[in-house]
Amino acid sequence: MKRLLLFVLLSFSACKEKLPVVDDFGGAHYNLVNQNNQQVLFPDILKGKIVVMNYIFTNCPDICPLSTNNMRLIQQRLKKEKIENVQFVSLSFDPEFDTPAVLTKFAEIHSLDLSNWMFLTGNKSVTDAIIKKVGVLAVPNDSTVFKDGRKIYYYVHTDRIQLSDADGKIRKNYKGSTINVDEIVGDIKNLL
Amino acid sequence: MNKSFLLIAAITFVTINLFSQPITNHQSPITIKDVWARPGAKNANSALYFVVQNNGSKADTILGAKSKYAEIVEVHESFKRDNDRMGMRQVKFVAVAANSKLEFKPGGFHVMLINLLKDVKAGTSLDATINFKFAGKIKVKAVVQEMPGM
Ligand SMILES: [Cu+2]
Repeated sequence: MKRLLLFVLLSFSACKEKLPVVDDFGGAHYNLVNQNNQQVLFPDILKGKIVVMNYIFTNCPDICPLSTNNMRLIQQRLKKEKIENVQFVSLSFDPEFDTPAVLTKFAEIHSLDLSNWMFLTGNKSVTDAIIKKVGVLAVPNDSTVFKDGRKIYYYVHTDRIQLSDADGKIRKNYKGSTINVDEIVGDIKNLL
Repeated sequence: MNKSFLLIAAITFVTINLFSQPITNHQSPITIKDVWARPGAKNANSALYFVVQNNGSKADTILGAKSKYAEIVEVHESFKRDNDRMGMRQVKFVAVAANSKLEFKPGGFHVMLINLLKDVKAGTSLDATINFKFAGKIKVKAVVQEMPGM
C-alpha cells in the first residue's frame, strides 16, 4: 500500500513537471569535428547551453531541408525574442560524404547563420554510436552512382529535432520536418 | 431578370475568363505553375516543386524530367515509415487525372536534381523540362528559394 502511494505521488510529480527528461547522451564523450574541421568533444562542448539539434545528411533533398529550415525559423524567432544561450546543432549521420568542407558549403548555400549553429561530423563509428544512443535510425536504402564513379546514399531516417537542457539531458523530441515553432519556443522558455 | 441582361452578363463572364487565362500552349490542357527549387551547392542535390493542372478530359502521365543543371534528374517521392522515419524512392511515372490538380511539394513528389553541375543559389532561377506522355515536353523556370513565401 505504501508502495502504491509512493508510486502515485511520483507519477503526480512527474506530471507536474512540464518537460520530463526523456533521454541523455549516456555520459559518454564523443570526438567529432565541426564544419571548420576543428576537433569538438561532444556533448561536452554544449555544456551550459540549451540545445536544439537535428540529425541530417546533406544529400537529403526533401525532408532534411524542411527540418533545417525549421531550425532556421526557430533560430530567427529566438533572436527576435532576445532569447540567448541556445545552441543549434546539426549532426550528420552520413559523415563519409558530409565532410567539414561539404557542411560549410551547405551552410553557405542555404545562408545559415552559424553564430550559434554548428554542424558536426566525424568517424562513422562515432556518429553511429551517437544516433544509436538517442534512438535515431538512419539506414541507406538507395544509392546513385555518378559518371565519375562517386556513389551517394539515400537514407531512410528518423525525422528529428531534439531539445536538450543545459545539463545535456534530452527533454523532448519533435518531428523535424513538421515541428511547430511556437511549441518548441514555448518549451525552450520553460527550460530557461 | 431580363434575358438580354443575362446574355450580356454571360458574354462578359466568358470574355473576362478568356483574357485572364495564363499564356500556355493552347493545344495542351496541362499547365504547370508555382515552380520552385531548393538552393544547392555544386555536387550536392536540389529538388524541384510545382503544381500541375490538367484541364483536359483525359488523364496524362509525367514520365520524367530533364535539366542541364544536374547530372541526373529523377522523379522521386518521399514516404513515411513507421511513426517518425522518412525516406524517398524513385517513381517511374506519376499519373495526372483528368480535370485535376497535382502538387509536387516537400514531403511528397519532387523532381530530384542529383549532382548539381554548379551552385544553385537562392534568388536565381533554374530551367527544366517536364515530360508528359500526351502533353509532351513542357519547359519550366523555377524560382530558387528555401521555401515559398520566405
Ligand atoms: Cu528525392
